[in-house]
Amino acid sequence: MDIGYTAEQQAFRAEVRAWLKANLPEGPLVTLECEEGFHQHVAWERKLASGNWGMVTWPVDYGGRGLDLIQWLIFEEEYWAAGAPLRANQNGIFLLGPTIMEFGTDEQKARFLPPMARGEVIWAQAWSEPNAGSDMAAITARATRDGDHYVLSGQKTWSSRAAFADWGFGLFRTDPESSRHKGLSFILFDLNSPGVTRRPIRQLHGDPGFAELFFDDVRVPVANRIAGEGEGWNVAMATAGFERGLMLRSPGRFQATAARLVALFNQHRDSLAPAVEEAVTQAWMDAQAYAYNTYAVASRIMAGGHIGAEASLNKIFWSELDRAMHRTAMQILGAGAELRQLGDGAVNSWLDGYIFSLSGPIYAGSNEIQRNIIAERLLGLPR
Amino acid sequence: MDFRISADQQALIDGIRDFLGAEHGVETVRQLDGNPRPEALRRKLVEMGLPALLVPEADGGLGLDLVTGALVAMELGRACVADPVADTALIAAPWLASHPAVAGDWLARIAAGDALVALAHPANPWVADLDLADALIGGGGVKDVPPAPAAIASVDPLRRLFATPAVAADDRLLDLGVLMTAGQLIGLADTMLKMAVDYATQRRQFGQPIGSFQAVKHHLATAAVRIEFAKPVLLRAAQAQQDGLATAAFHVSHAKLAATDAAIATAETAIQVHGAMGYTYEVDLHFWMKRSWALAGAWGDRNFHLRRISAGVTGGTLPIGPSNTFTPD
Repeated sequence: MDIGYTAEQQAFRAEVRAWLKANLPEGPLVTLECEEGFHQHVAWERKLASGNWGMVTWPVDYGGRGLDLIQWLIFEEEYWAAGAPLRANQNGIFLLGPTIMEFGTDEQKARFLPPMARGEVIWAQAWSEPNAGSDMAAITARATRDGDHYVLSGQKTWSSRAAFADWGFGLFRTDPESSRHKGLSFILFDLNSPGVTRRPIRQLHGDPGFAELFFDDVRVPVANRIAGEGEGWNVAMATAGFERGLMLRSPGRFQATAARLVALFNQHRDSLAPAVEEAVTQAWMDAQAYAYNTYAVASRIMAGGHIGAEASLNKIFWSELDRAMHRTAMQILGAGAELRQLGDGAVNSWLDGYIFSLSGPIYAGSNEIQRNIIAERLLGLPR
Repeated sequence: MDFRISADQQALIDGIRDFLGAEHGVETVRQLDGNPRPEALRRKLVEMGLPALLVPEADGGLGLDLVTGALVAMELGRACVADPVADTALIAAPWLASHPAVAGDWLARIAAGDALVALAHPANPWVADLDLADALIGGGGVKDVPPAPAAIASVDPLRRLFATPAVAADDRLLDLGVLMTAGQLIGLADTMLKMAVDYATQRRQFGQPIGSFQAVKHHLATAAVRIEFAKPVLLRAAQAQQDGLATAAFHVSHAKLAATDAAIATAETAIQVHGAMGYTYEVDLHFWMKRSWALAGAWGDRNFHLRRISAGVTGGTLPIGPSNTFTPD
């Protein structure tokens, strides 16, 4: 155990902090879930990239800085401490990027990663279908081989960012005779291809944070397939591992929420019941616990270890923590909690955050699925 | 920054786990119930090397740190060890090491396995195993052992408690007690989860193991989440205390709360999964469950530790936020 930072790590933290201070947008951006906000967030992605901060852990050749996971955590801590915007490209940089890094060819890496790091191409994910949600192996969308192309047909849904994004990635059935986990391939497609129809879906807050996608004979080069034909399930599981595991929800985000919750508590503390202080203290404790655990996982990975089914522990912990923190904030705001804008005209970000937090236990594999994974793969209970 | 235990630490706790698995299994725990503490069992714990672990090398010990101590505490909890040599090794020894002016030759005697030291602190309205002790630490000093009054019954049949005159508070003793109790609680929780998983795998209803039902799986998975997220808090607290950080008290309180909540929730889950069997004295789960209840209130209960952390978090004396994960480092 060594819980101190090196001088180099401290200098890096100072560098991140200084750059963010000088470059952060003035005032909060419009929500990422609507068109105006999406474009503001994409502009921020490009600003980050201009400072070479798009994805610090990536190799320099692909637009990163070649830094290690501890430096990534430091970057994320400063990012969220500064109140910086949500990442419009999180599907790309945190999920697809690591997948291409692990399974892609050199040509695919060179083609897809640098524009991703530069914020030039924003990615949507396309896993779920109307009849393949938690049961993702029930996928029926097809990719039919035609020479050096696949022809995509079928439907995807709950496709995050798909209303406005540039490209998408997902699983398609390349073997029409196959069933379940076999015969699936991991394919990247241009959302502006002929034959792709996007139907934005209004989310709980009223904005189109995700979309349905319809594929009517969409031609995609075979070169857009990641890993071998029929190997898509394993690739997707690796992607889901990144998502639930380390990258998607860095602890800084929750520590920042906990700190804001403490400040909110102190503004209102004279009128609050003692249970609220307990909930606020629990928020700090759990956000810290999540951070320690992430440092532990990062340390293990840096020493050659892996994150497997224990990623499901993380996903449950952060998603239920986020919901609990925002629920507490709503309780503190009391009668004001329902208002879309607070007294000073600013968006009631606690309300928006509470609404968003309700999606956490559902997306990226529902927490029921995660509990099944923990029970079967970590505890060894019978399937 | 490297948030991993070392290969040496892992090898040590693996060895202790194997040893206790062989020498301190459920048969031993059952045997201790209602009987005096056997000297032979204590000799085995001494033979394992327990008393010398945290004693400085100059006094004949191994000079290991509090992170190692907390890991060992987990193993003692896992095996439901109740012998006073545990408190002597993990709490008295590091306390004496940090109080050389009053330590006398107690450290050397502890390392040799020749001394048991009882601990008195106002956080606990009793002293454990006073009747076996050779010395008493309390109020910032080492005292002679007063005559032991009649033992007070605990819900835990393996605990032996005695009322003593009040002593003054001692933060170092408290924080060591809190840390090692937190470690034991996590170990206890690990075992209770394992017992419940084993039972759910063997017990069949509706023609299949009850552990194949999602209702049961999800209970157990929830317990696993609580336990796994208490472990890094324990390590962080142990390192903070080892490093003498000004904020260490907050971190040991955090560890105690996380460990207590994990153990109490796991106990409730485990008894539920065992069904009516869990409500009997026949199933060994109850020893681990009762130890968890007892330790939940020891060395400061939930109210005490929650208030201590709240004062830091909402009172502004503890740096919070993403930049302060390890502040001051």
